[in-house]
Amino acid sequence: MNVILAVKQYISKMIEGCGGGMKVLLMDKETTSIVSMVYAQSEILQKEVYLFERIDTAGRETMKHLNCIAFLRPTKENVDLLAQELRMPKYGLYFIYFSNVISKQDIKVLAEADDQEVVREVQEFYGDYIAVNPHLFSLNLVGCCQNFSWFPPVLSRTIQGLTSVLLSLKKCPMIRYQNSSEMARRLADSVRQVISKEAALFEFRKTDVPPVLLILDRRDDAVTPLLNQWTYQAMVHELLSINNNRINLSTVPGISKDLQEVVLSAEHDEFYANNMYMNFGEIGSNIKELMEEFQKKSKSHAKVESIADMKAFVENYPQFKKMSGTVSKHVTIVGELSRLVGAHLLLEVSETEQEIACHGDHSPLLQRIRALLASDKVRHIDMLRLVMLYALRYESHSNNDVSGLVDALRQKGLSAEHRAMVQSILDYGGKKARGSDLFGNQDAVAITKRLLKGLKGVENVYTQHKPLLFTILDQLIKGKLKEASYPYLGTGQLKDRPQDIIVFIIGGCTYEEALAVHNFNRMMPGVRIVLGGTTLHNSKSFLQEVSTAVGSGGSAGQNMRMGRQ
Amino acid sequence: MNGFFKQGSGNLKRLEAGGGEQAVTMSADIIEGFLCPICMKDLGTVSQLQGHFEEEHSSEDKAVFQSLKGFFDKAKKRILGDKLETELTPGGEPAKREELGGLSGYDPSWWEEQELGAIRSHTDTFKSVRDARVDHFVVETNKLLIRLDKLLSPEAPADPKKRKAFERAVVQWIPDNEVSACLSCGRSFGLLTRRHHCRLCGRIMCDRCSEFMASSYAHKLVNPGHNFSGEGFLKRSSSNTSINSLVSQDGESHMRVCKTCRKLLERRDVMTEQRNTKPAIVQIYDKMKMCISDAEQILPDYLPMVDSLSQGETVHNFRQALIMRTKLVKLYEAVDQLSKKIMLLPVPSDTNSRQLHLQKSIRIYASNFMQENLMGLQALPTEEEYNKLREARAAEIQRKIAAERQAAMDAQERERRERLARDSQSGNALSAEEGPQFGHRRVGSSGGSEQSKRKLIANKILNSAGSKSHTRSDSEGGVGTDKGWKPVEESTRAQKVSDPMLQQMEIIKGYIKQARQAQRMDEVVMLEQNLKELTAEYTRQKQQESS
Ligand SMILES: [Zn+2]
Ligand SMILES: [Zn+2]
Ligand SMILES: [Zn+2]
Repeated sequence: MNVILAVKQYISKMIEGCGGGMKVLLMDKETTSIVSMVYAQSEILQKEVYLFERIDTAGRETMKHLNCIAFLRPTKENVDLLAQELRMPKYGLYFIYFSNVISKQDIKVLAEADDQEVVREVQEFYGDYIAVNPHLFSLNLVGCCQNFSWFPPVLSRTIQGLTSVLLSLKKCPMIRYQNSSEMARRLADSVRQVISKEAALFEFRKTDVPPVLLILDRRDDAVTPLLNQWTYQAMVHELLSINNNRINLSTVPGISKDLQEVVLSAEHDEFYANNMYMNFGEIGSNIKELMEEFQKKSKSHAKVESIADMKAFVENYPQFKKMSGTVSKHVTIVGELSRLVGAHLLLEVSETEQEIACHGDHSPLLQRIRALLASDKVRHIDMLRLVMLYALRYESHSNNDVSGLVDALRQKGLSAEHRAMVQSILDYGGKKARGSDLFGNQDAVAITKRLLKGLKGVENVYTQHKPLLFTILDQLIKGKLKEASYPYLGTGQLKDRPQDIIVFIIGGCTYEEALAVHNFNRMMPGVRIVLGGTTLHNSKSFLQEVSTAVGSGGSAGQNMRMGRQ
Repeated sequence: MNGFFKQGSGNLKRLEAGGGEQAVTMSADIIEGFLCPICMKDLGTVSQLQGHFEEEHSSEDKAVFQSLKGFFDKAKKRILGDKLETELTPGGEPAKREELGGLSGYDPSWWEEQELGAIRSHTDTFKSVRDARVDHFVVETNKLLIRLDKLLSPEAPADPKKRKAFERAVVQWIPDNEVSACLSCGRSFGLLTRRHHCRLCGRIMCDRCSEFMASSYAHKLVNPGHNFSGEGFLKRSSSNTSINSLVSQDGESHMRVCKTCRKLLERRDVMTEQRNTKPAIVQIYDKMKMCISDAEQILPDYLPMVDSLSQGETVHNFRQALIMRTKLVKLYEAVDQLSKKIMLLPVPSDTNSRQLHLQKSIRIYASNFMQENLMGLQALPTEEEYNKLREARAAEIQRKIAAERQAAMDAQERERRERLARDSQSGNALSAEEGPQFGHRRVGSSGGSEQSKRKLIANKILNSAGSKSHTRSDSEGGVGTDKGWKPVEESTRAQKVSDPMLQQMEIIKGYIKQARQAQRMDEVVMLEQNLKELTAEYTRQKQQESS
């Protein structure tokens, strides 16, 4: 149940299958992202893969002395390009791997193009998704619905992605879905259709307890993606945006050239791996430790006298080199995060957000929101999300003053388009949109809050909020998740408590939810959960998702230039 | 906190501060310390830097300063409730978290081992479709080549009229009246569009659809050894659309064929070329890979030798290690030079050449390999050093053995005195019947600790002789001699005898046996000498006693 490993094993197998000699890896735009998430270029280089090419690059050089590993999605465009390539082969031999099911007809088209007999292998390797962390995957699809129903190309890509996750992990699951969501039902049904159509593929060794695939809809919890985050990974995504492990730092004041784009990969950066789930405050002290350690090592380097010294140094060398890069990178990132936190009163904003999400005192909160809206330091996006959270939380409160707050936004200079997002979020994730069976007449936040109190008793100002997913998984693991709200597809039913769980959120998941899943995996032996979503949201991409969903065509989201200032 | 390292060495980037101008430079000397990001002053330690920063710059860049110093403290207190910390890391400090798992914070032991995901092969389907098609090509092409061979035969008549008859004898031409339009482009034949026959398949086409194959190319097709350069087919331009003479300017004669035949012949040619030619880069690369794999074969034998020799052991022959080292140096030099040669191979001049990129990547691959493996070379001592190491080690072992012998003799002496004291106390003479029993029990009690102490000493000697960890972890699990060797106590026999001297001799005999099995010849020699001395001493004592 490790998606990083699953994809990595596929890639290694491809390279192995190609034998010795110089190799080129031929990919499309999507498979390039898929590979780059699990393998560092230098790592692949050591397996004699010297070139990485995109199949859609026109006029690639002919290099017959290279053998080609083609890893491609089975799209019509790729099949056409590949057939063209085979008619005039640029490389010596071809080992072709499709990331998903390919039709017999397409195989025929390719076979008929291979007059020069350059193809050695044609296989399906189901690495058709972005593996972000061992327990987390994404399909990088923002905006999955229009007018609250599936956008067809996105639906079919989602079915492909989700079934490839199942195949790569060798799981043939029982399927449960969120009953209140038509989109969830449709996806669940489509996945089941693929499983029955490709029954031979899904024949795996039976386990005592069958795995469960749970399909949820983001609309049931529109609160989580709106909150500011304080764990490292989530915070970096919220404030700086992580895109396939890459972070663009080019707008950071005084940034050096080699740090304009940095990679944060837990697979290749030990510091990040150890700190991604840490709270921001801890990271500062950990960086200090790292620097001191680095300094210690560089000192020992200065007096390499004996063989033993040298040996120790050389043994440490790769680590050492990695570390020197790591230090400056993380210092830069943390420095920028703290600059943003200070410059835009994010501590105060976040505290208020958490209060809205978890407490019920309406009038003092309204006062605090008004005060923050009056500040010149608070970013527009933070003002907007405060009002959106307020609108969700107090949708049916008698003294609800959404219109007054929207007016305040207007006075602050937020465009009509942006102000309309307040109504959009209510359409997207308001009371009517949520699964009423689960909540009865209570808000999701109230449940979350109560649960949280029951569990811990102590609350922390910035991390009080627990995503709805936490509650759902908790119930699922205990075998208490209501069938009326989350029915099984088909007749089967799980008698035991589930062990292997794949949970997928239509409309995108968040790093806060990924952390919740990580903690389940860590603390519940025997339970393995993998989380996925159509994308991995921060608040900015979520606003885009919402505005596409309500049917305003996504223009508001795309024009939401209210990020960093 | 905001300090950055200025750290340089041959191939480390120098990292400088986050503010101000940026420079990534290579510098040969090592400068270390924490640089103030604002005034670039070098402060020795983090705390000094913090102090300096607070004093000098707190007013200048309040945002940076505050965010870094003040914020962490405040945020840590506010964000990190104690309870939260324990919730996040049950039963441990945050720092211990890394023990929990490798990268990504995931401990492999949480989850079961993972096999390769599902796969499905279409290779067979693909090949059956392709092969049916290609088989047809192969049959057709072979047919064409047989005909071509005949047409090119030296006996073929040169006279145009006879030639035509000869050609028609080799290939049956389709009669003109059976075809009214070009089979290739569909134009109807007439006065302006005349019929032409493909000399290889006999089909009819128009002049525009004709291809003209150079005879030297044709020769090469039937005989791959035939020297050929240039174009296989005439390039068609407007000027030769109506070629009648099949002889071009350079005197090369040409043969009229159809497009289908051209395609089949060219396909064969490309595939033969591909099979028979090895470009320079491949040749050099293969050589380089050979050197790498040779080196990889030597390394697992060589590295344990270095380990052993640098401890002064004589299990391995120093000269032999030296020879292996020289071999490795040569192989590395070859890898270095071959990879450089690859990097410098001439490439097409376009600026964005992938070939150049390929050549550079191969060079990086080779240097990574060398970087990883070079240290084994550095670790081997010089002969002079080795002799010193060996002498030091031998002396050390001698010293320890002597100390041990002394300890054995002391123990014996003590026992003798105790026995005397006992004898005089009880007033009994040495009684034969209780002697062995009594002695036996004593070994189990106080004498036992003496005995185990001696074993400990012997163990220490041998352990210090055993090699430490290997330079390369993957060379572990090699042959028996590579492993650190440690004798196992063979206490049963030793305990049966009561005389400490005899016990000691039994223990040493046991060690000698084990050392032989582990092929530790130094130890065997030294232990044997020790045993000889002990035996001599024991005999001397016995003689003394009996006299
Ligand atoms: Zn300064
Ligand atoms: Zn024609
Ligand atoms: Zn022909």
